[in-house]
Amino acid sequence: MAVSSRNEATRGWGNLLFALPFLSVYVWLLVYPLLAGIRLSLYRANLFGGEHFIAFENYVRLFRDGTFLQALGNSLMFVGLTVPVLVLLALMLALSLNRATRFAAFMRSVVFASSVLSVTVLTIIWRQVLVPDGGLLSHFSHMIGQAPVAFLNDQRLVLPSLAVITVWWSLGLPMILFLSALQQVPRSVYEAAALDRATPWSVFRRITLPAVMPAVILVAAYECALQFQVFGQPQLLTQGGPNGASRPLVLYIYETGFNHWDIGYAAAASQMLFALILVALLVPQAARWLHAFLKGRRA
Amino acid sequence: MSRVRGRRVWQGLRYAFCAVMLILILLPLAWTVFLSLRNNVDLMRQAPLSLFGPYTLGNYGELLKNRTLFRWFFNSMVVSGFSVAGVLALSSLAGYAFGRLHFPFRNWLYAFVLMGLAIPDQSVILTRHHIFSTLHWHNTYLALILPGLSAPLGVFLMTETFRAIPKGMEDAARLDRASPFMIFWKVLLPQTVPAQASLGIYTFLLSWNDYWWPLISATRPDMFTLTEGMAAAQTNYAEVTGMGVLMAEAVLAGLPVLIIYIAFQKHIVSAITGMVKL
Amino acid sequence: MGNSPKNQVAETQGLEFRAVAKAFDGNRVFDGLNLTIGKGEFFIILGPSGCGKTTLLRLIAGLETVDGGEIFLNGRAIQNTEAGDRGVAMVFQDYALYPHMTVAENLAFGLRNMGVPAAEIATRIGDTARSLSIDAFLDKRPGKLSGGQQQRVALARALVKKPDILLMDEPLSSLDPALRLKTRRELAALGRNLSATMVMVTHDQVEAMTLATRIMIMHDHVIQQIGTPLEIFSRPANLFVAQFVGATPMNLLSGDLAAGEAGRAAFRLGESDIQTQVALHDLPESTAWQLGLRAEHVALTTPEKPHIPATVDFVERLGEQSWVHVRLTDGSELVATETGVSPHRPGDRVGVRLDGAKAHLFDVDGRAWHPEPA
Repeated sequence: MAVSSRNEATRGWGNLLFALPFLSVYVWLLVYPLLAGIRLSLYRANLFGGEHFIAFENYVRLFRDGTFLQALGNSLMFVGLTVPVLVLLALMLALSLNRATRFAAFMRSVVFASSVLSVTVLTIIWRQVLVPDGGLLSHFSHMIGQAPVAFLNDQRLVLPSLAVITVWWSLGLPMILFLSALQQVPRSVYEAAALDRATPWSVFRRITLPAVMPAVILVAAYECALQFQVFGQPQLLTQGGPNGASRPLVLYIYETGFNHWDIGYAAAASQMLFALILVALLVPQAARWLHAFLKGRRA
Repeated sequence: MSRVRGRRVWQGLRYAFCAVMLILILLPLAWTVFLSLRNNVDLMRQAPLSLFGPYTLGNYGELLKNRTLFRWFFNSMVVSGFSVAGVLALSSLAGYAFGRLHFPFRNWLYAFVLMGLAIPDQSVILTRHHIFSTLHWHNTYLALILPGLSAPLGVFLMTETFRAIPKGMEDAARLDRASPFMIFWKVLLPQTVPAQASLGIYTFLLSWNDYWWPLISATRPDMFTLTEGMAAAQTNYAEVTGMGVLMAEAVLAGLPVLIIYIAFQKHIVSAITGMVKL
Repeated sequence: MGNSPKNQVAETQGLEFRAVAKAFDGNRVFDGLNLTIGKGEFFIILGPSGCGKTTLLRLIAGLETVDGGEIFLNGRAIQNTEAGDRGVAMVFQDYALYPHMTVAENLAFGLRNMGVPAAEIATRIGDTARSLSIDAFLDKRPGKLSGGQQQRVALARALVKKPDILLMDEPLSSLDPALRLKTRRELAALGRNLSATMVMVTHDQVEAMTLATRIMIMHDHVIQQIGTPLEIFSRPANLFVAQFVGATPMNLLSGDLAAGEAGRAAFRLGESDIQTQVALHDLPESTAWQLGLRAEHVALTTPEKPHIPATVDFVERLGEQSWVHVRLTDGSELVATETGVSPHRPGDRVGVRLDGAKAHLFDVDGRAWHPEPA
């Protein structure tokens, strides 16, 4: 009676070898640092060595730390300013440019082009737009006889200014994702609607919007996660100022870890950020469950 | 008929919106180019600049003599180039394993890899810094390249790509006595070239534009990447270079990515839409 | 065989399955499957989609592993051997050519992996390409070839390895009808000339009947019958085979058995008795009986006794013959074959004459009982 044979070449541990190079780097430089970071957040530690275990004291300290709370508030505010506008504008662009004309193709390229620039080039460009002496907007102010506004130096205007810059920079990716979702709708559906004498508004409401809604939710979640990680713009343009009004969480972590060398504390702050990001990413999934649950109830 | 008029209004709004957005997007870029072509002296004056003012290519001229800039450009090329090679190699091998081969715990390991997609850089930066400090590897190309190779995105893309290849060819290759590695190298990998191109270009852009890690790891000016160097340049500009030169630097730094983008638009877009499958 | 231990090398040449078992996801697909295919045969596995024929082929090739039992090829046990080492070559249904390699490279790939010296590779490729008329495009990529040309390249890739056994998975199904006929005849010629055993899988019974030395009919992973095309056609083992094979499905009529002349059974159909040539004493007890008669043994004449009255439903005219569908007074349907173009029209009253001597009987389990010659 022959043994049930399993062909070694297709089933064995040997095949794991193909994945091993990646897995090694992955564990070494992503998984281990994450776990080590979590562990580090439970210690008081210095960049130059020396550490002792203090359990959750870092976290408690964070919640009493005015600077941290300000940074947290700034991050939340920044995401709140950036993401809705970004999603809305990207959606409007996708809807307007979902055509096969040369102009639409050109515009799509232009919109996406702003996204391929690095953050450091971005800040050079926008500093010269916003800065009150010699900036582009100051030229316009002069033309209409107004004093130029110091966007980056005004505590109330600095976050919105950074949000504007970020929206300008980030339109490309969401727009592409929305376009891809819109293009899933076959042309024939729109043609059938036309034969059914549907108004543009009802076509939008009944066909276009539902097709793009899942993408909108996904993009919104993803962009929230992304914008919680904002760093370059505030670090280079405002250094977190004035008075920390534009310091987001990542800048706070950077300063705590690499300027103050208080790495246990910085690690704790970074785990808080991680938690925020996880929440942002899980919201669409939770919404889906909720939706399915409610649907089930109603049935 | 109100329907036709409704459509016209809709169209008009669309055009107006597009025109406004086009201007808003192009204006800062045009301004930068404009400033780069102005004399440094002009730019220091308080008076507003005139559109017809004297233009000069002097800023670019000065930059081309700037060894540091070339050094930064070279660093970026090396780091990005090897990053692309590394990501493609590791992701293809792993993608083949997860997508076509069977081994114990395969699905668990794949889920383990996918979970890494949620981990932000900030959670791992401190330990990464510590690892490379211990190895005394800061300010080396190795330190700049390695972290990028741990990103799961490439593995996800390549796994999906390998999964999508019809099984028949693999069967034929097995009957042709090909070993698993031969099947990978000679039969399946050549079929993944479009995905490789997209992943490669996307990785290149990501690596080229990376600011956060080079800032922390490459602390010697001669090891700066171009992106990092631009950060240093803008904080130093008042003393060192001059506004016009800085603008010219920005233009020169932005140009390579823009050119790559224009040349490979399709690949970049398909890499992005490939990720949507997640 | 006597007391020979089970793992002794089989002495037969050709392919042998012994008690092969296969399960997918816990589903026992094959259990205790036994099969012998002689060396040099053109063996065709015939059956509808999903009957398990492709799985069987893949078990021979080694692309699936057996969960129990043994497979022998020319005396060697191969169930544990790697797919590429079995001396098996296969032509896939969608050809599975390597798209990024030229035709020549497609043919050479396997040979190189087998360690065949380069000079011999070149000779073999040249000879095989010439015999299949593909030498003109050895430098082309498969994407540039037509379906028929790709199929021949796939065949060449298999033949160039000089396999002990050649497997083909529905090789004609992707071809258009004209090409299919031509290729079928070429396959027949190949079967005559090739010394290797050929095993082909198809769902087309015309292909099976014209090409095979023996046919195995499968349905739902169960072997229905193995035999020569003539045996399958004239003595189908059960209802499924009887209806699957034949230009049009065998006619079936329900009725009762009665004793007939000379120890043969008679079939009572309504008021008429049809005398068959099936020996009565062989027949088992059965709660229901059916009479099976091929369309060519149903004739249409004038509607008076003793012919069974019927009305024409519709006529299918194919040119060289026609199939006339008639309905009896009790509602049963029959198909009769007529040569040439049938003059009948829907609604015509006709009389049906059944050639009882050619009739088969089917019991309630679908088993067939055949007429014995006198």
